[in-house]
Amino acid sequence: MMRNNFFRDNAALLGVVVILAVLGVVGYTSMGQTAFVRTTLSGLTLGALFFMVAAGLTLIFGLMDVLNFAHGAMFMLGAYLGWQFFTNPTFLFGLAPLILALLAPLFGWLFARLEIPEALQKSAPSLLGLAGVVVVFLAVRGLDILDLAKTAMVATMTAADPLAEATPQEALSIFWLRTAGMFIAGALLAMATSRPGDKTRTVHTDQVRRALIGAGVLLVFTIVATLFREAAPRAVLLWDANLRFFAALLVGALLGAGIGGAIEVTLIRPLYVRPIYQVIVTLGLAYVLREVIQLLWQPLAYQMSRPPLFSQPGKAENIFEWFRTNSVTVDVLGVTFPSYRLFIILLGVLMLVALALLMNYTRLGMIIRAGVQDRQMVEALGINVQRVFTLVFMLGAGLAALGGIGAAPFIPVQPNMGDAFQLQAFIVVVIGGMGSYGGAAIGALLLGLARAFGDYLALKYSLSPAIAEASTVIIMAIVLLVRPAGLFGRKE
Amino acid sequence: MATTKTETQNLSLKRESPLNRLRKEWAGVLILLLLAAFPFLFAWFSGTSVTDGPSRFWQGLMITFFIMAVYAMSYDLLIGYTGILSFGHAAFFGGGAYTMALWLTHAVPVISSRYRITLPGGANITEVVLFVAGILLVVLVVTLLGLLFSAASARVRGVYFAMISLAMAEALHILSKATDFVRWTGADEGLHGVPVPAWINPTQNRLLFYFVALAFALIMYLLVRRIVDSPAGRVFVAIRENESRVRMIGYNPVVFRSIAFVTAAVIAGLAGALFSLWNMSATPTMTGAIMTINALIMTILGGIGTLVGPILGAGLMQIVGQFFYQWFGPRWPLVFGLIFIALVIFLPYGVIGTWRQKRYAWKRAIQKMFGKG
Repeated sequence: MMRNNFFRDNAALLGVVVILAVLGVVGYTSMGQTAFVRTTLSGLTLGALFFMVAAGLTLIFGLMDVLNFAHGAMFMLGAYLGWQFFTNPTFLFGLAPLILALLAPLFGWLFARLEIPEALQKSAPSLLGLAGVVVVFLAVRGLDILDLAKTAMVATMTAADPLAEATPQEALSIFWLRTAGMFIAGALLAMATSRPGDKTRTVHTDQVRRALIGAGVLLVFTIVATLFREAAPRAVLLWDANLRFFAALLVGALLGAGIGGAIEVTLIRPLYVRPIYQVIVTLGLAYVLREVIQLLWQPLAYQMSRPPLFSQPGKAENIFEWFRTNSVTVDVLGVTFPSYRLFIILLGVLMLVALALLMNYTRLGMIIRAGVQDRQMVEALGINVQRVFTLVFMLGAGLAALGGIGAAPFIPVQPNMGDAFQLQAFIVVVIGGMGSYGGAAIGALLLGLARAFGDYLALKYSLSPAIAEASTVIIMAIVLLVRPAGLFGRKE
Repeated sequence: MATTKTETQNLSLKRESPLNRLRKEWAGVLILLLLAAFPFLFAWFSGTSVTDGPSRFWQGLMITFFIMAVYAMSYDLLIGYTGILSFGHAAFFGGGAYTMALWLTHAVPVISSRYRITLPGGANITEVVLFVAGILLVVLVVTLLGLLFSAASARVRGVYFAMISLAMAEALHILSKATDFVRWTGADEGLHGVPVPAWINPTQNRLLFYFVALAFALIMYLLVRRIVDSPAGRVFVAIRENESRVRMIGYNPVVFRSIAFVTAAVIAGLAGALFSLWNMSATPTMTGAIMTINALIMTILGGIGTLVGPILGAGLMQIVGQFFYQWFGPRWPLVFGLIFIALVIFLPYGVIGTWRQKRYAWKRAIQKMFGKG
């Protein structure tokens, strides 16, 4: 009885394993060991990247029914942020005080007890919001953001001494006015969103106290960021390049998550009543993000250099020797393979493990799993679903951004770099079934291998890899037509 | 309710005399006359020649506007009227553009060097016949594309279809960039210097091309309006509003969705073909996702689910975009993107849609006031 159920429940998984095994044997015998191992490893690298993009996509869709067409843009954004941090973080540190100042007063509870004349109550939010936007514009007026953004571009060209390009920034005497302006704008926006004068709402003293502490902490951060905005990039550039690279992974993922959270709160949340428009707004967002990137860094392709950990000349005989030599390539089963790509595979596996732990052993994971299954029930149980939505959106955007930085050292960093990955992630999600991160992992593995072997076959028959890429769409079409819920999705 | 009332009004309108109809649509006729006279009016006001200088430039802008208006209108037929969330519209536009460009570049010179088609009187009409054949080929190709998309839409709905349509269009985009076909498509560069027949060549005969584009836009507008007002068009709207109910009543939604798809595909493909004639090129950007997003922006900007809306949106995008280009430099689409997002959140029905809503509210308020008074 038990065994029966096991086979029936995991039919798709077993089928995949059997097919992979058969194909593996066929491929191994017909391609020869070297070509087979190399293609498999390339497939695993691609699969790891696909997984990082697809995992967030599938969680966001499964939980919130939002198909995020800006997910590829988050991947691209992550790559740019990581590249900036790694090459020359002047831009990030130069803007940090302004962003922090804008965020600091966004603890709406502070203003929840605000008294406002009855007559103004209806128009107050829009008036305050408008005033906030105007103050933001006044605060950043004349700030040469483009000049700040240029630093890493130039640094790539003169890679020898990154410190030489750490250009002086605006004098502090002017800059602190901007920070103050942003702080006021943030306060205005906070007032606008906190339903001022609404007497039906009860505010706990505890909430106000917590908001006060939060705002205070952020204010301190803002002041610190303002004071160290010139020293910090220099200090970071003097770090060991490996440390800087891992910091870039972390910073990019965190910034990606932060941007994702901001997107959810400002753009997605008002549109839950109009689901179609959510999809449309994410598409518009992808367009805007791409334009912003092109505005800041020109529509050019950049190459982020690999950290020294993966770029010492020579070839390691095996993985263990690599730990000593840090060479650019490693010999894996007789195949010379870039060590950085092995790191990407490791990163993908680590992400899968971390996600599995999060989903299965934490309270948040439990809520997400329950929410994917039945959102109304979770809401009815008194769980703040809105906050979970924001967290999941942040998680997904952070994962995509992490994938972007991971990919940056071996694919060109350019404005449309996310499009191809988003397309492949869609296919992965469709194969794996919406809402299942395990399905996304298997789908990513399948698609990565399919792409790698497709490229191999295409080259063998003197075609371009583009043919293999386009034909993956056929896989998606077949899966959708045969099993619309995906291989591992639940039937609706 | 209100819709049935407008429906009966529309039905009765068809039996009216032409003069009466003209009187009802005086605004449209006036705009049409203004557009027809635009090259001459512009030349007269700016004191330049009709055939060169700024007036030539502005004619070019207007030509792009007409083509984009048709493209946006065809998209609205899908997303606004039938409620199909399709993100692969660039496939039709680019498919039409590439078909026309490939036909003119690779097939027409070969055929016309070998065969001559003459009228009984002796006039050589090879060029015209081949051009018409090209248009028919475009219609055939995009019809097949439309059928392909509608086959997918028969099976999957909503965001799933949005995804698969985007993927299918992206596959076409990848193929249009693929280096395997570089001999035919020019890969990344695209096809340039398409040998457009002399009589419709936009560089030699700009003014004529202007009127061709205007006539094309007018015919397509009338066609789409006819479709929307037809019983089939009513079923499109019904599918948007409640698909299972449509099925209950006895219409097959799959069939009507296919009709909508093929119609929209053909119109977008023709617009693409004209666009490739106008640019004398076909490039991968015409099949790219940005092209679809442009259609979406124009539709939302003007007003989704209306016919005048996409036209207005295209006009705003082209004409205002020109000023934005002067003010903001090459990154002007950013401003449009931001406006687009603001519209989606604050004015989801666009310029025309919001105006129509408010107009009815005002009308009702006035009626109420006078009815009681």
